[in-house]
Amino acid sequence: MIYGDKNTGVLVQGATGKQGEFHIGLMNAYAQQAGGKGVVAGVTPGKAGQQVHGVPVYNTVKDAMKHHDIGAAVIFVPAGAAADAIMEEANAGITTIVCITEHIPVQDSMKAIAYARIVGASVIGPNCPGLLSPGEVKMGIMPAGLFSRGNVGIISRSGTLTYEVVDELTRAGIGQSTVVGIGGDPVIGQTFVDVLSRFAKDPQTKAVVLIGEVGGNLEEEGALSTSLPIVSYIAGVSAPPDKRMGHTGAIVEGGEGDARSKIARLKKHGVPVASRVSEIPEMVRELFRCVC
Amino acid sequence: MKLREYEAKNAIKAAGIPVPAGFLIRTADELITHLDELGDAFVLKAQVDVGGRGKAGGILMAGRTDGITVAKDLFGKQIKGLPVTEILAEQKLDIRHEYYLSITVDRSNKQPLILFTEAGGVEIEITAKEHPELIRKVVANPLMRDLPPFMIRELIGTAPKEIGPIINRLYRIFIDKDALLAEINPLVTTPNGVFAADAKIIVDDNALGRQGFTINRDLSEREREAGKHGFSYVELDGAIGVIGNGAGLTMATLDLIEFYGGKAANFLDVGGGAESERVMNAVRLVASVPAVKVIVVNLLGGITKCDEVAKGIIAAGISQKVIVRLAGTNEAEGRRLLSEKGYEMLDTMDLVVKKAVEVTS
Repeated sequence: MIYGDKNTGVLVQGATGKQGEFHIGLMNAYAQQAGGKGVVAGVTPGKAGQQVHGVPVYNTVKDAMKHHDIGAAVIFVPAGAAADAIMEEANAGITTIVCITEHIPVQDSMKAIAYARIVGASVIGPNCPGLLSPGEVKMGIMPAGLFSRGNVGIISRSGTLTYEVVDELTRAGIGQSTVVGIGGDPVIGQTFVDVLSRFAKDPQTKAVVLIGEVGGNLEEEGALSTSLPIVSYIAGVSAPPDKRMGHTGAIVEGGEGDARSKIARLKKHGVPVASRVSEIPEMVRELFRCVC
Repeated sequence: MKLREYEAKNAIKAAGIPVPAGFLIRTADELITHLDELGDAFVLKAQVDVGGRGKAGGILMAGRTDGITVAKDLFGKQIKGLPVTEILAEQKLDIRHEYYLSITVDRSNKQPLILFTEAGGVEIEITAKEHPELIRKVVANPLMRDLPPFMIRELIGTAPKEIGPIINRLYRIFIDKDALLAEINPLVTTPNGVFAADAKIIVDDNALGRQGFTINRDLSEREREAGKHGFSYVELDGAIGVIGNGAGLTMATLDLIEFYGGKAANFLDVGGGAESERVMNAVRLVASVPAVKVIVVNLLGGITKCDEVAKGIIAAGISQKVIVRLAGTNEAEGRRLLSEKGYEMLDTMDLVVKKAVEVTS
């Protein structure tokens, strides 16, 4: 696993909101199943002393850090406060920060991510579903029931499309090591390159499914940066130019970042690219045949 | 959202970057009061929200004698289907040299990227392809409010020094206006100094509220209506309506339609955790497009519960055929509700899409 395991204590920022409360419940149900620590503290300014599903809430991240051993944080605060939350956690010394929040202005994300980089924190997201290492830890909102433990890592800019791939793999008997949703915004903290370099050092991960979409060229950069066996899928072949396809970052701009040229570049570098999600399990099996 | 030229120019002028004397007019007669300031030759530019307006006849030269006639002519035109309601009348500059300056968001570096070339006057895409070495680039740290002087020196090379402060002012505009792109093309030298002859600013859709915009003009009315419900919605030109949860899964559904030889009419992402009323609104919205003959619903329930989805589809009560794929939380109950009412359900996204393409072809 990467970014954390069952011994990682997780903090939730925005603990008393509807989303925060709901997902603390689900994350801790998962932690209980896995025998892990799960969410140990919550933060909502002005709500110190409250409890959410038995988890104590503090006013600041620093207060929570005084009382708990915290290795990672998950953010559910509204868009206007999310960049500040990232910086507060980074400043307090948390090194893995998962930002679920959507619709954060890019100028705010750029500043928060630049600040986190200076103090040595890794930001996953924003606008992401978080990550899940089956049997170990869940940080975020992924539906745990679809996952199974195994050797395939998944990195994706999407949420539900990732679950679709996980579901296909699990049904085909192919388990996952860690599944990371890196987010659908134009500016995100951990990119394909960063997550792939973690997978490269993870003995459990033998192959990686890279799920990209229109916009930018982070997929190609990632594929070029690693020697791990990869299968890829790129969403948005039918996306018209200059239209945002749901995700803020999913847009073909100035003739760049369209799916067909992405796919062509990936194939040129020897990366097999599935044209349908349902082809992915068989292509992963094929990779393992090559590797063995 | 792309600002209109006069909005971008106003922002640039307010930041201290010289722009040609210009006036926004809404009728041809309004031009009369500005003729003295505009001088003998000036440019009339239609303020329409489309690209490539120059080639579409939206930019016309005019003079003191024919100005009103030319303006009347332009007000009567449609530029790429859009009526001309506003014209920017602008002084013609005595251009000596053209430069290109832009600031964008660099996804790979996660920082602002500033591009400058002394080889202006040619389309930047062509320069980028044929002479990439002529485009100078620096990546700025977004935590800094101003560009350090060395970065500006690296950018301008042998270009006039007056350009230095302009680069920094544009950088501040980029930050303050929540821009995804701030561009001056061309930035020109004239006997009277340096001017931004044309300017383009794209504001981050996620920052429109704090930038004082109440609507996103880049969206169609139906797209805006969808936004009010919290849906992501894009209009396309086929006959298959598409509803999914999550942008990636919905996009993959569209791609699959193309894979099987069909064409999608639209893209609607209901988002996570949709309850029956939201689903009902989504189905009705997609069905309200006249071209839609059949609707594909592809939902993978995590936070979203399949029984809620089923209730929403049934409540929508639309006339078009709906083909459904539901998987995940409360799947059995969702399927039971739909099959009671005779809806067609299939197990995988491949199957629902194939079926929809068959129905429409």
